[in-house]
Amino acid sequence: MSAKKYDAIVVGAGHNGLICAAYLAKAGRKVLVLERRHQVGGATTSEEIYPGFTYTCCSYVVSLLRPWIIRDLELPKYGYEILPLESTFTPFPDGRYLMRDSDPERTRRSIAKFSPKDAEVYKRFGQEMAELGRLIKPLIDDPAPDPLSRDPRELLRLGRLGKQLRGQGDEWLYANVKMMTMSAVDFLSERFECEELIAPMAISGIIGTFLGIRSPGTAYVLLHHYMGEIDGSFRAWGLPKGGTGAIANAIAASARALGVEIRTEAPVAHLLMKGNQATGVVLENGDEIHARAVVSGLDPHRTFLKLVGEEHLDPEITQQVKRFKMRGSSGKVNLALDGLPDLACLPGPGPQLTGGITIAPSIDYLERGYDEAKYGAFSRKPFMDVLIPSLTDPTVAPPGKHTMSIFVQYAPYHLKEGAADWPNQREAFGDAVIDTLSEYMPNLKDRILHRQVLSPWDLEQIYGLTEGNIFHGELSLEQLAFLRPMAGWSRYKTPVDNLWMCASGTHPGGGIMGAPGALCARTMLGKRAV
Amino acid sequence: MATPANTVIVIGAGPNGLAAAARLAQAGKKVLVVERAAAVGGLSARHEFHPGYAVAGILHDEALLPRAVAEKLGLSRHGLKFQKAPATYLAEASGPGLLLPSDTAGAAEAIGRRSAHDAKSYTAMRAFLDRITPLFASILSEPPPAISPGSAGDLWQIAKRGLSLFRIDRKDLLELARVAPMCVADFLNEKFETPLLVEALAAPAVASTWSGPWSAGTMTNFLLRECAGGEAIEGGPPALIAALLAAARAAGAEIRTETEVARIRLENGNVAGVTLASGETIDAKVVLSSADPKGTMLKLLAPGTLPLKIEEEFINLRARGTAAKVHLALSGPLELTGNEGQLDEAIRIGGGHVDDLERAFDAIKYRQFSERPNLEIRVPTVADPSLAPAGHHTVSILASFAPYKLEGGWTDAARERFGGAVIAVLEQHAPNLRSRIVAREVLSPLDLETRFALTGGQLHHGEIALDQLLMMRPAPSAPRYKTTVPGLFLGGAGSHPGGGVRMTAGVLAAEAVLGG
Repeated sequence: MSAKKYDAIVVGAGHNGLICAAYLAKAGRKVLVLERRHQVGGATTSEEIYPGFTYTCCSYVVSLLRPWIIRDLELPKYGYEILPLESTFTPFPDGRYLMRDSDPERTRRSIAKFSPKDAEVYKRFGQEMAELGRLIKPLIDDPAPDPLSRDPRELLRLGRLGKQLRGQGDEWLYANVKMMTMSAVDFLSERFECEELIAPMAISGIIGTFLGIRSPGTAYVLLHHYMGEIDGSFRAWGLPKGGTGAIANAIAASARALGVEIRTEAPVAHLLMKGNQATGVVLENGDEIHARAVVSGLDPHRTFLKLVGEEHLDPEITQQVKRFKMRGSSGKVNLALDGLPDLACLPGPGPQLTGGITIAPSIDYLERGYDEAKYGAFSRKPFMDVLIPSLTDPTVAPPGKHTMSIFVQYAPYHLKEGAADWPNQREAFGDAVIDTLSEYMPNLKDRILHRQVLSPWDLEQIYGLTEGNIFHGELSLEQLAFLRPMAGWSRYKTPVDNLWMCASGTHPGGGIMGAPGALCARTMLGKRAV
Repeated sequence: MATPANTVIVIGAGPNGLAAAARLAQAGKKVLVVERAAAVGGLSARHEFHPGYAVAGILHDEALLPRAVAEKLGLSRHGLKFQKAPATYLAEASGPGLLLPSDTAGAAEAIGRRSAHDAKSYTAMRAFLDRITPLFASILSEPPPAISPGSAGDLWQIAKRGLSLFRIDRKDLLELARVAPMCVADFLNEKFETPLLVEALAAPAVASTWSGPWSAGTMTNFLLRECAGGEAIEGGPPALIAALLAAARAAGAEIRTETEVARIRLENGNVAGVTLASGETIDAKVVLSSADPKGTMLKLLAPGTLPLKIEEEFINLRARGTAAKVHLALSGPLELTGNEGQLDEAIRIGGGHVDDLERAFDAIKYRQFSERPNLEIRVPTVADPSLAPAGHHTVSILASFAPYKLEGGWTDAARERFGGAVIAVLEQHAPNLRSRIVAREVLSPLDLETRFALTGGQLHHGEIALDQLLMMRPAPSAPRYKTTVPGLFLGGAGSHPGGGVRMTAGVLAAEAVLGG
């Protein structure tokens, strides 16, 4: 069909694909984005699943999108607006509760009910994390340094980095090494004494991973989630106005304005290969489109095993790809509500409902949930991160009605009975979620107009996330930085000539951060690949 | 007691303490070793648990013992003889089990009778381990690198290590970087299809750590173990103690047993000696403690000695015991059903799948002991019949997992219940076991703490975990044996490179004393 030749074809219109395309177009390249679904955004999506209600189906908060990307792509001009979320509320089964919000004094008083000592430590904790984050921040805005490299330029960069690190002093270095290697619980327990605070704080260390809060490496993920910055303030979370999909729409609009062509309902079947070189793509309808470079916005498994195909890969690469751990561990339950539910511990409307509501009452609770998942069952009593987006952004539900987004962990993709059993277990999983939440919100069930349950299997079917992994691959130590997605292939370039990767399966990883997309484009342009 | 000015007091006469004493005395220091127990040896001493019945050490595995350190101390002159480690019999519930020789070719052949794929994988894995062993050998035999190299010596050490990295193939280095932070279950499942083998290879990497095979980072411990010596010694751990004692004495070190230190004395902030539990004081400007770091820094130093921040480091050092020792006296051999007619020295019994090992670990998270513990077994009487009356045998079992802090406490009843759980697991493989039991001893982590002065009952003096290795061990303020208290050195299992029947920490601490 198309005789037009593109400089680059981006497969998948998730936020990273769109960002990569936008940057390439900004540099004057002719770019085509192909999306399988009827809309852009991938997992950065909001959809009207039930008439009148816009669900934030997958990703539900934003904090990580890099500020320079927002500026470069002029996203506010295209409708990008973040409504701040200012609190986290943690109810306990015995009626007590913990409220952490943007007012330090209120937060201190709330924590002091549990432990006066922890209330004091907490005041300094954000600052401490910000200090520690100084190491990570430059690393997430650049391709990952490769400490095992033998390239003199890379060694020079490492030397500079080493010098910079040394300048920070031993104490800071030790704290960083500990943070990279400890579990979230151990890391927090060195600072805090009360479990009612440690448990809800530790969950940031496991969101989207198949790790328990006691697994080494989770302290790093904790920091990863502390990197959020909206208007420069550390650890600030927000809701995109109009739902998460509005971010994707803003990026897409910016990309289009820069000349990017975006086609939806254009599923790619596989790449066009000439030897070890990608020359374009073949759509499922048989159309062939050629380009100088192909950029995959899909996860590493899909990119290599589906787009390229094992037959075009060195068996060693195939093995490495297969060893890259996906293992989705979480699900989503989205609700349309007739009215606001009441929290048993603090009934009525109020700030306790407007922020995040975290169901993480104890370390053992979270650990038991993890143990069930290890052996192939969803947690009967899961950790939940609950939001009522309509309270912050009334445009997503009819007047007086509400939407509720429930992020649930653990829901292992690999059930004992096999992943394909998820359709049989999906509603039981939804019931476990609603039953557990009802212990804290007794009238929740009466308010439900509609419920959508997304298991990891569903996330795979609908959004093309292999094994339902929301980060395109586990954020475990061996799959980060210069090892993401594979040792030796962490710079967006792939073993297939002219094929690049730009999504969460590459450094610096998942979340609505945008850095992989932007860094991929920067690298491609730097190498004159397009 | 007044002593010469160059006196060094060494606290504890386990392998590290005695090795430190030998090294210091050989370098001309006046050395006094003080040991609270009646006999030297610590966890490596011959342990008589019932009249006439003994095991060859609370720690019964010499695989970590470094030959180079033994040579440096001249232990062969004092009777130390290395030998090939015994084969390990992996028992299984229904099947013949697997007798795994300690050499690669023999093991691969045995595995090959189960699975040709696994035999090939095993050979390839050992080859990879052999290729990276030079790197690990240097890590395990030297003080840990400085976190921010300052001195010329630091830079030289880093340069040397950098060069040794260059000698290893980049592909191997990338693979090492990939696997080191992994969990041991993922790594072994990538390689092997025989569940029995995966569980058995994973078990040593998690024994007496606070982690299960699915815990991230356990591969590092696996690599540290697999790249260590892997040999055994004639006579087991007590033979090492005998050689060390002879070497230390020959060099002029004095060893006093039944001499418990109550306090490390300071004068003007510097070490001035020790005060014994008896009230006696001994002067010395240098004290090298091979006792555990928490005990040394938090109990032997007077409260308030350490600045709060430093004290916190030692409070935060995680040292939770996770295993119990069970000792059995038998009126006959330990006969296993899968392996009739053969007397094995080393045996492993698990549930048959790596998930069973993980389940055993799960229990301690909730302050319970495992009802189906994983057993690492030695039958020392096979090699040394003198440990029991003629025809009788003793069995040494390291049983994982059992928490230090058990819900309800380690009462006599709880201890007996755990002993019962261990016997029940063993009995499934040794049906005639019960009638042969003459006596049994169960040492819970709490017992290990009270009887052997091990804080938390932690056999490694501090858990083996990613954030408690190298210069993080035992604490950032004491990364290279020297503490912030002038004259006080830490040279036990709590310091790099860690515990087990090993002497490296003691020798490196002694060298830190000599270097200072």
